[in-house]
Parts: sequence; structure tokens; C-alpha cells
Amino acid sequence: MISVIRDALIIAGKDIVSELKSKQTVGMMVIFSILVIMIFSFAFDPVDRIIRNVIPGLIWVITIFSGILGLNRSFVSEFENSCLSGLRLAPVDPVSIYLGKAAANFIFVSIVQLFSVPLLFILFDYKLKGSFIWLLAIIFVGTFGFIIIGTFLAGLAANAKNSEMLLPLLLLPLLSPLVIAAVQATRVVIENESFGEAISWIRLMAGYDLLFTAVCILLFEYILEDT
Amino acid sequence: MFYLFLAYSTIWAAIAAYIAILGRRQKELKKELNELKQWCSEDYFQVR
Amino acid sequence: MRLCSKYIDKALFYVLVIFFPIILYLVFVWSPIEKVMGPAQKIFYFHVGCAWVAFLAFFIVGIYSVWSLIRPNINSFITAGVSAEIGVLFTSIALVTGMIWGKTSWNTWWSWEPRLVTTGILWFIYVAYLFIRKMDGPWQKISKLSSVFGIVGCLNVPIVFMATRWWNTKLHPIVFGEGKNETGGGLDPEMLLTLVFSLLTITLLYVFLMRKGVEIERMRMVVKNCKNEIMNKLTIRED
Repeated sequence: MISVIRDALIIAGKDIVSELKSKQTVGMMVIFSILVIMIFSFAFDPVDRIIRNVIPGLIWVITIFSGILGLNRSFVSEFENSCLSGLRLAPVDPVSIYLGKAAANFIFVSIVQLFSVPLLFILFDYKLKGSFIWLLAIIFVGTFGFIIIGTFLAGLAANAKNSEMLLPLLLLPLLSPLVIAAVQATRVVIENESFGEAISWIRLMAGYDLLFTAVCILLFEYILEDT
Repeated sequence: MFYLFLAYSTIWAAIAAYIAILGRRQKELKKELNELKQWCSEDYFQVR
Repeated sequence: MRLCSKYIDKALFYVLVIFFPIILYLVFVWSPIEKVMGPAQKIFYFHVGCAWVAFLAFFIVGIYSVWSLIRPNINSFITAGVSAEIGVLFTSIALVTGMIWGKTSWNTWWSWEPRLVTTGILWFIYVAYLFIRKMDGPWQKISKLSSVFGIVGCLNVPIVFMATRWWNTKLHPIVFGEGKNETGGGLDPEMLLTLVFSLLTITLLYVFLMRKGVEIERMRMVVKNCKNEIMNKLTIRED
């Protein structure tokens, strides 16, 4: 068990180091998320009050769309020089490959959120009414679920030739309950000072996270088995 | 009443479409089988 | 065994031929017209039947996915695929009839009602599943990938339902309760009989289509294998 986590950390470290060298994926994700904010403000007039209602949703739209860009890369980039075969041949559990990839993706997406979410609040001159800690907790739980299922499906889609197109198609329907829960919880926390109603949504997200973490860990070895 | 008609006609159309797809697959299979039979017959090899 | 399955197919076909006029009679003539919604309420019988079969088909996809992960064989692979195809068919029917019914009773084509949304998401999951099956590669690999997705998708469906339900009530969660249909609880016994009968007929239709589809897919596999074999022989001869 400990060795699985240690291997996972090593794989995550490898991904992060290669990202630090190129700075391509995260950079593009950040730029893309800012672009999405821009496009949204063109679509909904930013002066209008309407935009305030879509901000909770916008946080998650940004996260998911820019996250999909990064998830696509996480396995496809391993095909160069058949690195994935190398990983598979290495004496590590497939679970640790999965967990390592998920951890790296989680860090990338968190970095993107670190830029994009404050920017969203600044650009639309939005003031947080609820507690900051709860917002962080909701973003953490939601992003965790997104990355867990996203990394899993990215590994699945990487087997196909058109994986960039396949991934969103697979991912978005499965994400729908998480998105509903996350947006509702975010809305409650952002707009109200009390967060009583958000708790049942957080519970739903936590249940989703736990269930899919278990299932993905169990099933991931089948995805990697052979190509 | 119009909507009732619309709903049931879509139901039948959809089921019929699926059956048609199955039929087309079967036809393709038959064609392929015939082709295979032709290939398997001895003179085909001799002609080649 | 083969003979037996042939007889089952025949029997199913004749049962369906007999049942369909009966169900049409029951739906259009025999069952009473609903007071509030009028004749449009008759969509209900087939709509519920198709929705039920859609969920049943997906459940079967899930079961066969688990099974083909435990013991990979071509039969469960094919069965899961055909079940998914028929599931798409019935999900589409349920969605379209649901929309038409919504138009008549709520005057909107699409209401964000939990069952409708769940069915919509189910449709997308089905389509994604079929896209995975369209990947190229040996069937063993595709079987594994699609089974994995089938299991995850199957687990997802109840969560979608719960989430949309909470979302709609916007209050504290209700997990159970509320009648099965939208007609407001009590069903007329005649309506109930018609409903049960239509459920039965559509399930039989599903079984029939499944058997046919599986058989055709199996033959396809056999033909493909034969073709490959002959190709191999031909190339050997030419050498």
C-alpha cells in the first residue's frame, strides 16, 4: 500500500518536473480559461445583472473546459517514444500510475483555478458573501471528483486515435451530477452567508468522489492492460 | 390528438428503422457469405 | 440447442404479432380517456414502456460488462453491444415521446424534470459507449474498454437521477416517495392493466430484437473470421 503511494508520488513528480520544464500545458490551460471568461462576458453583457447569476456555473465551466485540455495531454503525451509502454513495463502497480497521473492533473487544474477564479471575481467585480473556507472546500471536492473520473477516462480514450474528441464525449455525461452539485453548492456559498443548504450538495459530491475513486482504482488495470 | 398521432408515428418509425438496420446488416452478411462461397469454390483458385 | 433457440424465436415472433394488435386496441379503444390531459395521455403507455426498457437495457449492458471483465468471451461482448444499440433506440423513443407529452401537458417541449434529464444523460452515455465500441483494434481490447465504461456509466445513472431530483426541488433531498407516474398518484385499474400489458409487450419486443441482433452480430463475427482464414490461405497459395 505504501509502495503504491510512493510510486504514485514519483510518477506525479515526473509529470510535474516535465511540466515545469516545458510550462506548455498549464500555460495553455490558464490562457484558455481566461479566454473562456472573455467569451462568456461577450455572450452575456457584463454590465448586466444576469452575469452575476451565471458566475457559480462559470467557475465550473472554466475548470472543466480547461481541465479537459490538460487531461487530453496527460496520457497522449506518453505515447511519444512509447513512454506508456515503459511505464507499464516498470515494476509498479497500474493503480499507482493512475493515482500519480491524477495527482499531477489535480495540481495542474488547481493552478489554473488559482489564476482563473480570482480573475473571474475581479473582472466581474463580484464580492464573495459567504465564507471563503467553504468555497475552497467545495472547489476542492468538485475538482477532485472531476480529476478522478477525468484521468480515468483520459486513459480510456487514449486508446483511440481521435482521443481529443472522444474524451469530452465520454466525460461530460458522467460529470453531469457532479456539475449540478458543484454549481448549486457554489451558488449557495457565494450568495448566502449561511451554508446550511450547501452541505447536502457537498455530501453528494463526496459520495460521488468516494464511489468513483474506488471504482476507478479497481478498474484502471483493465484499461492499461494491453494495446 | 395531433400530438398523440405524432408520438405514435415516431415510435413506429423508430422501431421500423431499427428493424430495417438489422435487415440491412443481414443482407450485407448474405452478400459476403456468397462472396466467400465463390472464393471457396475450387475453380476460383484455379482461375487465379 | 440450436433448434430450441429457433423455436423460441418463432414463438416470440408470433406472440408479438398477437400482442401488438391487442395492445393497440387496449391503448386506443379500451382504456378510458384521461379527464385533464385528454387523448394525449395515451402516449403515456408506450412512453413508460420504452423508458423502462431503456433502463433495463442499460442495466443489462452493465451486467454483461461486469461479466465480460470477469470472464472475457465474445458472447457477452456482443450481447452488451446489441443491448446498448437497442437501448439507444428505446431511449430516443422515450425522449421524443416524453417531449411530445410535455408539450401537451406542460406546454414546453423540454422541462428540466429529473426523469427526463436522467433519460437524456442516459442517451449520451449510451452513445459514448457505442463510440468506444467503434474504436479499431482486436475485440478483446475493445471489450475491456467498453466494459469499463459500461460499468462506470451504469453506476452514474442513479446518481444523475438523485442529483437532478435534488436540483429540481431545490430543497432538502427527497430520495424516495412520490408516485411512479405523472398522472397524480391513483391510476384507473383499466389504465393500470393497459400499462402493465404494454410494459410486457415492449419488454418482449426488446427480447426479440436482442435475440435477432445478437444472432446477426455473431454471424458477422463468424463471417469475418472465415474471411480472414480464406485470406490467409490465399496468400499462402500465392506464395
